[in-house]
Amino acid sequence: MKRLLAIFLFSATLIAALGVAGLGLRAASARAQAPGAKGPPRTADGKPDFNGIYEWPKSPPGEEICHCSATIFDRKHFAALKPGGEAFLEPRTGDPRHDEPRDFCMPAGFPSGMLSAYPVQFTQTKGYLVMVHEFQRMSRVIPLDGRPHREGLDPSYYGDPVGHWEGDTLVIETTNFKRWSLDDYFYSDAKEYRMHSDALRTIERIRWKDTNTLSYQLTIDDPKIFVAAWSQGFEMKARPDWDATGLYEYVCEENNRCAGGKCK
Amino acid sequence: MKLRLLFCSILIAFAAVPAFAHHSFAAEFDESKPVKVTGVVTKVEWMNPHIWFYVDEKQPDGSVTNWGFSGGAPGQLLRRGVSRDSIKVGMVVSVEGFRAKDGSHNASGGTVTFTDGRSVFTSGNGDRTPGAATAK
Repeated sequence: MKRLLAIFLFSATLIAALGVAGLGLRAASARAQAPGAKGPPRTADGKPDFNGIYEWPKSPPGEEICHCSATIFDRKHFAALKPGGEAFLEPRTGDPRHDEPRDFCMPAGFPSGMLSAYPVQFTQTKGYLVMVHEFQRMSRVIPLDGRPHREGLDPSYYGDPVGHWEGDTLVIETTNFKRWSLDDYFYSDAKEYRMHSDALRTIERIRWKDTNTLSYQLTIDDPKIFVAAWSQGFEMKARPDWDATGLYEYVCEENNRCAGGKCK
Repeated sequence: MKLRLLFCSILIAFAAVPAFAHHSFAAEFDESKPVKVTGVVTKVEWMNPHIWFYVDEKQPDGSVTNWGFSGGAPGQLLRRGVSRDSIKVGMVVSVEGFRAKDGSHNASGGTVTFTDGRSVFTSGNGDRTPGAATAK
């Protein structure tokens, strides 16, 4: 099991590295827009330019529901539960492998990992948006050329994303998830553990809100749990001051001394 | 002086903000058992996913207890101005954290105060520290 995990994490890191290196880009690439021009920064092909390092998605000021480190979903946005949907909002069991899988360096998955309290770097070309999250070096390579989802893939922690533009908004649809943590709620309430099902479909809508803030809306469509899709809006602050150091390495297995609460 | 101002600013910025636990904190540490340990730093592990540093505390009977403190990820601390040079072997420090649930002499990293009065936060983003201060 340990070996499988190591292979998975090594592969994820390698994919991230190859993705960024293969695209031959720096996150802080020069933008095509002239200084003082109105509207969002744009790439040479006229699309909104999201290249850069950002804080993780956070609730807009005044809408935070706790001072958690990672962002969590606000239950007021949830659609009604289907009969049987309650089972996915299950209590902690006392088994740390169930209650806190990340404590064993298991992947955070999407969307949970995206909301973790670490920086996120976006590298954008005409054909791809690559997201690398400092936490667990989570990486997502998102085609933007209109291709459909891949077929025949095994369900995964991060799903299969494809993106397209709707005006100045980038829309990313992700499917093909395995059942896993929906968010970090289980770190703030010992009574509830939120899972999503393998029917989860997410839609991210990303656009510039102002000169240093991205609007990041996340839609959760999980027909095994909810009667309808529901959405929550977040913001991501651009942090060009973090570009000098870039993302730091995060290797969970390096010195994970207290897996499951048993320090060694 | 500038350094002292920086550390004071960090303290003020992160004081009195209630928070919930982060990555593994809830499983490992007991918020009802705050500890304050003063002694000499014996080892520093500046590694992911959490830094660890160890402090020898002299007991009234002359024996020595070696405490281990688990802090945040190196990247989180670096962006907060805390580096591997902030806490070094041989330094005398006072550390406030929460004791491990397993009853061992491990605890969460929290406020580390040096002999010159400077303090730094070594816990992870969002982890609670004694006194309700929170590191972001």
